Amino acid sequence: MLAEKYPNEVKKILAKYPPERKQSAVMPLLHLAQLEAGFVDRHAVVEIAGICGITETDVAEIIGFYTLYHDAPEGKLRLQVCTDISCALRGADEFLAKVCERLGIQPGGTTPDGLVTVEAVMCLAACDKAPMFQVQGPDGIAYHENMTVDKTMEFIETARKEVK
Amino acid sequence: MAKMVSLTIDGRPVSVSEGTLIVNAAKTIGIDVPVFCYHPKMEPVGMCRQCLVEVGRPAIDRATGQPVIENGQPKINFGPKLETACTTPVSEGMVVLSQSDKARASQKEILEFLLTSHPLDCPVCDKGGECPLQNLTMEHASPQSRFLFDEKHHAEKRVPLGDKIWLDRERCIQCARCIRFQEQVAGEPVLAFYQRGRSTDIITSSEPPFDSIFSGNTTDICPVGALTTADFRFGARPWEMKAAASICSLCPVGCNVTFNTRREAKSRARTGTTTAGGKVVIKRAMPRQNEQVNEIWICDRGRFEWHYVEREDRLEKPLVKKNGKLEKVSWKVAIEEIGNKVKGNKEEVVVLASGRLSNEDLFNLKQLADGLGGEALLYDSLPGGELTTKYGVSAGTNIGDMGAGTTILVAASDLYHEAPIWHLRVKQAAERGATLIIVNSEATRLDKYAKHLVRCEKGEAAKKVRELGAAVKDAKNLVIFFGADGSSALAEACAELVKSRAGKPNNGLVGVWPRANDQGALELGFKPAQDLQAVFEKASVVYIVGADPIGDGAIKTQNVKRKPFIIVQELFLTETAKLADVLLPAQAFTERDGSYTSGERRVQRFYPAVPALGETKADYAITALIAAELGIEVEGRSAGLVMDKLAAAVPAFADITYGKLAETTEQWPIIGRADLYYGGTSYQNSQGLGVPLGRENKKAEEGSL
Ligand code: SF4
Ligand code: SF4
Ligand code: FES
Ligand code: FES
Repeated sequence: MLAEKYPNEVKKILAKYPPERKQSAVMPLLHLAQLEAGFVDRHAVVEIAGICGITETDVAEIIGFYTLYHDAPEGKLRLQVCTDISCALRGADEFLAKVCERLGIQPGGTTPDGLVTVEAVMCLAACDKAPMFQVQGPDGIAYHENMTVDKTMEFIETARKEVK
Repeated sequence: MAKMVSLTIDGRPVSVSEGTLIVNAAKTIGIDVPVFCYHPKMEPVGMCRQCLVEVGRPAIDRATGQPVIENGQPKINFGPKLETACTTPVSEGMVVLSQSDKARASQKEILEFLLTSHPLDCPVCDKGGECPLQNLTMEHASPQSRFLFDEKHHAEKRVPLGDKIWLDRERCIQCARCIRFQEQVAGEPVLAFYQRGRSTDIITSSEPPFDSIFSGNTTDICPVGALTTADFRFGARPWEMKAAASICSLCPVGCNVTFNTRREAKSRARTGTTTAGGKVVIKRAMPRQNEQVNEIWICDRGRFEWHYVEREDRLEKPLVKKNGKLEKVSWKVAIEEIGNKVKGNKEEVVVLASGRLSNEDLFNLKQLADGLGGEALLYDSLPGGELTTKYGVSAGTNIGDMGAGTTILVAASDLYHEAPIWHLRVKQAAERGATLIIVNSEATRLDKYAKHLVRCEKGEAAKKVRELGAAVKDAKNLVIFFGADGSSALAEACAELVKSRAGKPNNGLVGVWPRANDQGALELGFKPAQDLQAVFEKASVVYIVGADPIGDGAIKTQNVKRKPFIIVQELFLTETAKLADVLLPAQAFTERDGSYTSGERRVQRFYPAVPALGETKADYAITALIAAELGIEVEGRSAGLVMDKLAAAVPAFADITYGKLAETTEQWPIIGRADLYYGGTSYQNSQGLGVPLGRENKKAEEGSL
């Protein structure tokens, strides 16, 4: 539970918004909730709805809208590959397919050890540095640009050891 | 009166009040601009783009501020882009083209775009036949698809959004009507979009899922077959069904409904609770528009809880007790049995009837009781409820008109559960500026709309209401909804507050009765039954109609010292019916005609939807048979004739006839079978808007735009 685990962080987040606008705190609270397990579970949805004074459906909707929030446990390492138009022109589709092939999964799938998920997302505003993907971690979001399949596999292997 | 604005739409002049949206202005002159996301009961959002039209506005000379005249005509400037008719308000001199090449092309394109991710599985879709997408596609879209069938977007087709509503994900066109209904109309935002673009889904995350008593309405306004009810899903095709106008019998709101019926194939053994083979059965209940009662909505109880009338254990034949056992007899034998028993005991006859019965049934029962010098008692109603016959709301009252200046007090009642559509309409009145005051011992879902919330102990509501006195005295209009709080003190306290306002529209009491026609019973002179146990012991004959006091525990038979002769008139073998000496099978309200008086004192007619079961008879007719046997003259030939007698006898009903009850006027929004796309599948009202009791001002009744 957020209030028990991160009482100070929750307080700090809420302090940023005037009380009648506390529903705005939903975004940072979701990030907070996602820190540990990499996804927001049902308990957290209910709790955040309570804190922000909105319905659980509202919170679920926000999680659904943003690519960076997840409501189901997937791989601890989540590669989000941009396959939008500019990246597609620089071979993002092929890149995605190859990475997946090397990992033995489908786009959107997770490796059998439950560690790596690869999924396609919309433009990440790094159009000139395709193929690219982003990975979300406790310290924020890291961009990996101008990637090749080999470089990506290398990255995955290193990261794999860390998250294990 | 709002300022009027004149414009032309497709060359036809129209004048509408300022602020009217183009789509509605067009509707008033019979021009149908195609829409999906727009719904006349909700705020426009302009998200589907189906309603694009060309809009021109008069050019204004900057120097003079006057319209520029060219060739004797005002010069019209058309913008480079089309505009959404559902979000654009009219303006003076506007020229709207909904049928120009440009407008038609865009309407066609939007449809093509929508169909790229729609399965078009009309042959197996519940909505097929009454589907806006289907209709608008036939009318505006290209007959040929340019997309490959194999590349269609596919998604889950069987997603329960709770136990009442199912979602077919691939049919959804993301118009958000359902989401907005829950948010704006029902005030229960339990639906939302999940994901974006083509992956957009409807979700609910409430506990329990889709937690709303109004959920069924989303299936009416969903412009495709994405939302269907678990109850009716795959039940019938719309064109196979007949429609019968009726009134919901489950609470005092008196929502206008339409029962859709179908004759089931001989081979079809069962539907729901009925052995259906070869029979005409009810397939579903739909709202029927009455802007002064339920608008175009009904609650889920009204939509789903009529099934009891088709239960298999309905009584079909009269029964008489012989040697302690109920045995089937003919009507003649049963009525003679009653005659023999009652003739010797006239002075101690008690009629105990409930508000489940129609005005006609109750009137006949009252006639019979009076003729025998007996008593006519109303079973289980609100203490002090008779006060509503004096201080109840009167003609011209419409919750839909209430807003700033009106104070609405809800005392000891949970409208959400007891009279859901009143909850919805009171909530909307509060949002329009009416002052809502709630006095209750428990929290209710209406609380969050209240200006003043008064918590009290059970039994204390009367005191709290009296204390409010001064606070509500100055309200321009005051309407009080009251429920049960132990004694008649509450009704008296409420009556005190409205006494001086009696007869003024939008002022007075509304009893939140447990049954649909308690109001009617009281208007006809039934006395609320006080101590049933005592009544039972005193009477020599008790005639119980549509009530189960023993099953409800209101009478403890083990305590009854002297058992009277008991006549029961019922649909089922209830606990009370088991004790009957004579048990008479009545028709359900869906099998006959009649009228109810709603809590707002509006008399409304219902019509037969299905043929009567077995040897059952209408309650008023059975009473007339008994009366005839006892030498009392009571009309029993038809409900309409009973109403004529009733109107002649009871002043409040003075000018009511079945003809008047069947009158309608045009209502806004305009809905109907031909333009399902605009208002949804709610039925148009062509069988009667009802007549308020004691109406003084007929003008006030006429629907206004
Ligand atoms: S389910 Fe129906 S009403 Fe709801 S968004 Fe989809 S199409 Fe519109
Ligand atoms: S609000 Fe009352 S009358 Fe209307 S549908 Fe529901 S139960 Fe029936
Ligand atoms: S299209 Fe890939 S980052 Fe913009
Ligand atoms: S945009 Fe006008 S109806 Fe949807």
